[in-house]
Amino acid sequence: MAESISAARPIQSPLQAYVKNVRDTATSFWEGMSVTLSYMFRKPITTQYPDRAPVMVRDTIPSRYRGFLEVDMDICTACQNCERACPIQVINIDILKGDGKTVPKLRMERFDIDIGKCMYCGLCVEPCPTGAIQHTREFEGAVMAFNNLTLRFVPDVLAPVVAFKAPKGAESFSRKPLGEITRKLIAAWDAPPPPFPSKEDAAKAASHGKPKAEGGLDPASLGRTLAAKALAVKTVVPKLSKVFEEAMAGTDCGDCGYADCKGYSDALAAGTDFSPDKCAPGGADSKAMLETILVSLKTGAVPGPAAAPAAAPAGDAPAGAPATTAPAGPPLAQTLSKDELYKVVLDAMAGTDCGDCEYPDCDGYTKGIVYEGQTDLNRCAPGGEDTKVKLFQIMLGTKPPSA
Amino acid sequence: MQAFIDGLIRGWGYDPATWAWTQMVYLAFMGAFAFAVINFAAITAGIFSWAERRVAARMQSRVGPNRAGPFGFLQWVADAVKLLTKEDLVPDEADKFLFRIAPYFMMVGFCCVFVTLPFSHVLIIADMNVGIFYILAVTALIVVGIIMSGWSSNSKWSLFGAIRSAAQIISYEIPAGMALMIPVLLAGTLSTQGIIRAQGGMPWHWFVFDNPAAFGAFVIYFISALAEGNRTPFDLPEAESELVSGYNTEYSGMRFSYFFLVEWGNMWVMSALATTMFLGGWNIPHVSAAEFDAAVGAKAVVWELLSLAIFTTKSLVLVFVVMWLRWTLPRIRVDQMMNMCWKYLVPASFAGALFVAGWMLIVHALPMLGTLMHLVMFLGAGVLPVTFFIMRTLKNIRDTGDKFDFTSNW
Repeated sequence: MAESISAARPIQSPLQAYVKNVRDTATSFWEGMSVTLSYMFRKPITTQYPDRAPVMVRDTIPSRYRGFLEVDMDICTACQNCERACPIQVINIDILKGDGKTVPKLRMERFDIDIGKCMYCGLCVEPCPTGAIQHTREFEGAVMAFNNLTLRFVPDVLAPVVAFKAPKGAESFSRKPLGEITRKLIAAWDAPPPPFPSKEDAAKAASHGKPKAEGGLDPASLGRTLAAKALAVKTVVPKLSKVFEEAMAGTDCGDCGYADCKGYSDALAAGTDFSPDKCAPGGADSKAMLETILVSLKTGAVPGPAAAPAAAPAGDAPAGAPATTAPAGPPLAQTLSKDELYKVVLDAMAGTDCGDCEYPDCDGYTKGIVYEGQTDLNRCAPGGEDTKVKLFQIMLGTKPPSA
Repeated sequence: MQAFIDGLIRGWGYDPATWAWTQMVYLAFMGAFAFAVINFAAITAGIFSWAERRVAARMQSRVGPNRAGPFGFLQWVADAVKLLTKEDLVPDEADKFLFRIAPYFMMVGFCCVFVTLPFSHVLIIADMNVGIFYILAVTALIVVGIIMSGWSSNSKWSLFGAIRSAAQIISYEIPAGMALMIPVLLAGTLSTQGIIRAQGGMPWHWFVFDNPAAFGAFVIYFISALAEGNRTPFDLPEAESELVSGYNTEYSGMRFSYFFLVEWGNMWVMSALATTMFLGGWNIPHVSAAEFDAAVGAKAVVWELLSLAIFTTKSLVLVFVVMWLRWTLPRIRVDQMMNMCWKYLVPASFAGALFVAGWMLIVHALPMLGTLMHLVMFLGAGVLPVTFFIMRTLKNIRDTGDKFDFTSNW
């Protein structure tokens, strides 16, 4: 090739170059057209997706592919590790608590995964203690209605699913074939969206599902019962540990840093751990109960029923309303305890968690004002003038300087 | 067509020269023909858009649109509905009046061509005695539309595209016009039907195989027509990678579809014109034009339909070649485009016209030589290259270890 170029160069007159150009044009047309035509009469290389592929496309992708999520509710312990692990709040789990005797201790009335938002990072799969949540190889997300993209693993709110209690020491859990559940759910994606619930249905759904309405669990009274039990077995560590464990959610999720619930309760009973707030699935309820037990162990007496709900009525409307309408008397900041004040201040804010105040959310700003001495009361942008007036009223008992 | 309408009126029992309603009947038929032409243009353009996508897909080893209707044929209907329902957007800074009327200039220039473009033995709206001259004149209206749209859009991409287009179309008018002069010389008339009648049914009667210069003129005309129609490799005015979309960048919806309609429809116009001038038009093998004129009754109808089918087939083959070229050749540069026109095509077309003038004198003296040249050209420029080309293509398929498979996976 190189020879022919170097040989052709020196002896080319303008006329030869002209003729050569014409000849090159003709031959390159000839070759090029022949090549394209030959492709036209061959079978296309591409595969017609989706209906002419020889096998289902999902069956051709690697088994570790991260497709739509799937939860096998039969082995879900309701620990909510996945919900906490999700960086973008795609998973929503609603827990219904019971006393563990007349009604099951933990039930799930909602387990929704919004596939439309999911970014398939797989962080929810890793902390799952039983392997209930897994990625399938399903990936075809075309739907008739946007709402349909939410996978509801508890199909009916009125029929909550009882959480799975993993046997102690079990290391593997049998689950349904991967993909079966999600495939069933996405089969309904072509359906039109569910109708907007009527007012009665919405009210019914709203009144249901509240732990109080279920009558299963009153953390305050159960806490006192447990505290009395704990006092009775104060010296017997294994028995005391049992009492502590009852106050926990019992999912063995390991979020507390111990291997399971028993590990945490043993530590509490043995006196090596004093923090009551490590039970993440139990949430505020477990924390309150554990606190009650720990306090009564220390003081030797079960706190009376009046003491327990002390924080409850101090909050919202009764305290907030006079604060804004009657400016007489010292500001609430001086009359209320910090915890009560916290509720009043939080109530005064817009509650959008916009972060404009330079705190991560409303809660952060409130804590800043109440506990950390933040004196700038002018930061709640969504609340505007209203919030500003309220905050000045609560904290200083005065009107804001500009108003 | 006037003769046809006069015949109709006589059939109703009136004398067209004296009947009071003659002009009204003419007007009604004019409206009907205009309607038919616009619809023919729009529908062929739509079908070509689908065909080109399928051809392009096969040439790129893809499948192409095949979901809407059989073989995806209704894809163009879906596209048209989408375009018609889109918002008709006029840019804020545009010259709004010019912006709005520019597509109509394109449409008018394009539709006017159909007036003298034949379809079959009788199917022609007006067989003017200046037919070719008229076609060359009205196609220039398209340039006006292009420059108008580019200028009024007030966008640099549009203006670049329009200026390129003006330079290109005006330059290539010269070789195209000179190349078309050669069949005009051979036939001795500017009328499109007259030129077709001067040819014959068999390929060696076609003007393209009349002599070497006529064959060259066909090639020159074809290249120039590609350039005038803004087709690849001369799609500089709407080069996507450089100018977004050229002069029609700012258009949307219906107005945008006018530009596309003209572009696709132009494929038919240039192919039909090449068929008329060089490829024997609607001539049926072994049927002379005089025999055709004399035919009556069922024979006339059958021959008429046959001539329509022959003309359409020849044009469609050329349309396929245009698409085929688009998916074979890369776009050339502006300087290459100008070089090609002024340094190669223009001199060649003038030389060809001179050669043909001399050749006609020689043939007039020695008619045997003309017949011999017809056969030599038919074998040398027609049969041999096509055979070699088919062999070459089959070899290309064989060399890749693949096999001829046109039917599967549509």
